[in-house]
Amino acid sequence: MDPMFLAYSFFRRRKFEQCVNLCTQLLEKNPYDQAAWSLKTKALTEQVYVDEVEMDEEGIAEMLMDDNAIAQITRPGTSLKKPGTSQSGPSQGVRPMSQSGRPLSGFVRPGTQSGRPGTMEQAIKTPRTAHTARPVTSASGRYVRLGTASMLSTPDGPFINLARLNFSKYAQRPNLAKTLFEYILYHENDVRNALELGALATEACQFKDWWWKVQLGKCFYRLGLYREAERQFKSAMNQMDMVDTFLYLAKVYVRLDQPLTAVEIFKQGLEKFPGETAILTGIARIYEGLNDMENTVKYYKDVLHYDNMHVEAIACIGTNHFYTDQPEVALKFYRRLLQMGVHNAELYNNLGLCCFYAQQYDMTLTCFERALALSTEENASDVWYNIGHIALGIGDSNLAYQCFRLALTNNNDHAEAYNNLGVLELRKGHLEQARAFFQASTVLSPHMFEPHYNYAVLSDRVGDLQTSFSEAQKALTSFPDHADSKDLLKQLKQHFSLL
Amino acid sequence: MTSQSTTSKDSIDATRDDGKWLSAFYDPVASLYTFSQCITLSDINADGDNKLIIADLGTGSYQMKLKVYKGTNLVSENTLIDLPTGVATFYMDQNEPRTPAVAVASGPYMYVYKNLRPYFKFTLPSLEINPLEQDVWNQVRDERIDVGVLREMLEGMRAEGTSLTVRSLRFIQLQAEDLEAFANQYKHTPLKKQTVITSLGTMKKSLAEEDAISCLVLGTESKQVYILDPEAFTVLSTMNLPSVPVFLNVSGLYDVEFRIIVACRNGNIYMLKRGTKNARSCIELNSQPVGLERMGKNIVVGCMDETLQCYTTKGKKLWTIKLPASITSMENVDHKSKGFKAVMVALSNCEVHIYKDKYLVNIIKTEDIVTGMKFGRFGREDASLIMTTKGGGLIVKILKRTAVFEEKDATAGPPVSQNIKLNVPKKTKLFVDQTMREREHCVSMHRMFQHDLYRLRLDAARSYVKALETSMNPVSTNTTEPLKLSAQVQGIGPTFKLTVNLQNTSISTASFNLLITFQFDDRLYNIHKTYIPVPMLVPGLSYAFETFVDCLSDKGISDTIKVFVLRQGRSVPIITAMISMPVSETMVVV
Repeated sequence: MDPMFLAYSFFRRRKFEQCVNLCTQLLEKNPYDQAAWSLKTKALTEQVYVDEVEMDEEGIAEMLMDDNAIAQITRPGTSLKKPGTSQSGPSQGVRPMSQSGRPLSGFVRPGTQSGRPGTMEQAIKTPRTAHTARPVTSASGRYVRLGTASMLSTPDGPFINLARLNFSKYAQRPNLAKTLFEYILYHENDVRNALELGALATEACQFKDWWWKVQLGKCFYRLGLYREAERQFKSAMNQMDMVDTFLYLAKVYVRLDQPLTAVEIFKQGLEKFPGETAILTGIARIYEGLNDMENTVKYYKDVLHYDNMHVEAIACIGTNHFYTDQPEVALKFYRRLLQMGVHNAELYNNLGLCCFYAQQYDMTLTCFERALALSTEENASDVWYNIGHIALGIGDSNLAYQCFRLALTNNNDHAEAYNNLGVLELRKGHLEQARAFFQASTVLSPHMFEPHYNYAVLSDRVGDLQTSFSEAQKALTSFPDHADSKDLLKQLKQHFSLL
Repeated sequence: MTSQSTTSKDSIDATRDDGKWLSAFYDPVASLYTFSQCITLSDINADGDNKLIIADLGTGSYQMKLKVYKGTNLVSENTLIDLPTGVATFYMDQNEPRTPAVAVASGPYMYVYKNLRPYFKFTLPSLEINPLEQDVWNQVRDERIDVGVLREMLEGMRAEGTSLTVRSLRFIQLQAEDLEAFANQYKHTPLKKQTVITSLGTMKKSLAEEDAISCLVLGTESKQVYILDPEAFTVLSTMNLPSVPVFLNVSGLYDVEFRIIVACRNGNIYMLKRGTKNARSCIELNSQPVGLERMGKNIVVGCMDETLQCYTTKGKKLWTIKLPASITSMENVDHKSKGFKAVMVALSNCEVHIYKDKYLVNIIKTEDIVTGMKFGRFGREDASLIMTTKGGGLIVKILKRTAVFEEKDATAGPPVSQNIKLNVPKKTKLFVDQTMREREHCVSMHRMFQHDLYRLRLDAARSYVKALETSMNPVSTNTTEPLKLSAQVQGIGPTFKLTVNLQNTSISTASFNLLITFQFDDRLYNIHKTYIPVPMLVPGLSYAFETFVDCLSDKGISDTIKVFVLRQGRSVPIITAMISMPVSETMVVV
């Protein structure tokens, strides 16, 4: 068989390793074989390619040194940085908050777990595990890891030496330029050189090729030049309507903290491509970021209307039902996920919780057993934490205590478990231990109001009114509508003002 | 007792400041630090133009000034030696033109200015000195006893509750080596006991006219109220109170009949009448007073518990209003040409509420918290409101001539929140079906659940014991070593800072002989201090131990580091913490 044909076949069957090897042999025979060279670059790129629209980790530098911010205090509901301002749906007391001050998402994506830190110290204090650790800038992070991975796989040096390339020569040849560009951007992660090649190539085709404009936009986006990226994407959209371009442009606006404009772009996209789930999901995600649960669920339901196998939509709607006091409906959604073949500890854990709260007791513990069996080091603590809640629900405080301790064993920084242990110790009358647990919990996650409130109650009980007052105030800063904290504060104020 | 409690929360919309006030002047940086007692409005040049006189507390320790504004311009500044506690203007003679004098109370002195020039200084009569104290100091002067004995005697006297002079109090505070010098320096000057003025008021002497001669009324720290003659500056009468007066309200004429209502530091309000030496207790408040005004025959008191209370002069409570924030200042509004009388209350939420009787009739929003207010004639405008703010600003507002205050109870009827429906989700058909299932199979479901529960308890207990055996817990369960460990990693790499927080959670026993060490992959990490000795741990305090960790790999891999807390001589750790190290950042070339 013709080796070139075989290489193509390997490429189409996504056997990139074999494809690369074959191309290398071909190139050894004839170093000027353009087809083989082009195929090899494509295969190498495909090996490390990750869809860029989906992955979006905002680095410390972008968040704290945001030079695109116009106003320090934004109008309510127009910024992703202050998500609490446009609330709809259940309150913080019902649906727990993630560190970013938004409700827990039903589907973990980059940026849903660890939020925007308020201070530099909070930013560099590394969150729970390496999985959620924040990169310094988005230019490092995942790109660097991918880049290093590709370097490891070619021990005898890089396939193309970028320093020796004559970009203007390649820019004249569109058949080679496009694969070379993707190789530089995705495989080598060399944005500067990619941008240079892109600029030359788009000039060579008299600015008539939308593809190059989108690529230039990507480069600008990676370099943090959002306004330039916006211009490129808009210009590309004038020539050709593509879903990808809409998604990228919306991403630019999200980064510029203009969520409403991003939604506007998505809606324009929907006019051109009605029922496009990627766009609908994008809108839902932005609303979720803005804490607007009603619209989020509406758009996720639209997604399901067009694609009823969409895992993210099912999970998010399920979570929303669970927290709006309809666990039996949430159970339906999670069972659907199970039927679709999702099989992990998180899902069984959620199923167990839904069963318990929907009063289907015979299934509850079986689900948790499976969740424990499937759990890894990272999520075992959360499973134990939830079993602890079931134990509290059936009134077995001994089992609850053990479960929360086990949650701590698996994850030393489980602030919620610390808080619940504190409450259990408080009920037993061990005030000193309870105090230590509450303090640990407040240090670990300053965004939670529960440990602050519990500590305030404890201090109030032992007569340390000063601490009680300050802790109740801290609880209110993280959850301004918490009625119990307000009551306590009122009581304390009355106490202070009485003679 | 007819006490009525109403909230002013719901009525706010009805009484918003809908253009009743003209904003005449606002200077946010007037650098005024003063209170209502130190602000007054008076025609001090007898030219028909009322000036604003403010005793400025400066920084609180220096730069105290008496400032006079004509219109919005500062026309004069007189330096004050001590903190002013009150300012009043009064006519002291019958001379033409009728120029009033300005009295400034400050420390034990009363400074009187005329035509803005110092005119007279009145000193409060000094108090009687305890004979024993006098005797002791005399003995020291004659060198019959030494300073150590003096100090002991004075301390003994203070312990008995005797009120001492300032000199003796200062002497007790001194260090042992300074006593001798202090005694030598002061023992030859005669012992004096002075008090300070706490509040200031004026009272017409014999005629009720606008420009009649007035007496000054002073409240002092020595629990007395003095009434001064305006011409000779002699004490006309002295009255005693059970506590220190903080607010005075004077009405009537000295020669005919007068009432002085005094709010005191013990939270009581007393009444003084002509001819009595001692006060009659009138009202016992349940919170400290922060403002006192008289409206007709009633007394309106603002209290620290965010309430405004009204009493009759007999001490009967008429009403109580709960305010939305704490009171910072109070002022009486008496708009004679319209016959409008009300009480103005400045609140700490940047609002000024105006109450006519118990009805909230107007709310003024301000840019800052108002700390001092004065309502009256300013310049040629009859109804002006002067406000000073916490940030040192000066606000002047003028009441519009067309303004009408509606007097109505805006809080009638049920509160608005009663009509809002709670968002309770409906029970779904699914829920009903599932409940049916539960009802039909209740026995088998319960058995299943109990069976699973036993297994789960066993599983949990097994894992728990395993965790205990390996001491894999950041909180010790051992009652003899109650410790709590938490560890944090800071930084972005390749060098991280590892902070280990250790806390002894026992009630009274301290922990000794502990040490911290680490377990890690030495190909990946290098820890600067692998062994950290722990000092004695005092119960309840959190101790932080720090070390640096270098990441040796640039491959973007990470590992866990275990932190052990050990007792010296024992190989099994007491507690362990696992730290998932973050991926180290490498050099980034963009």
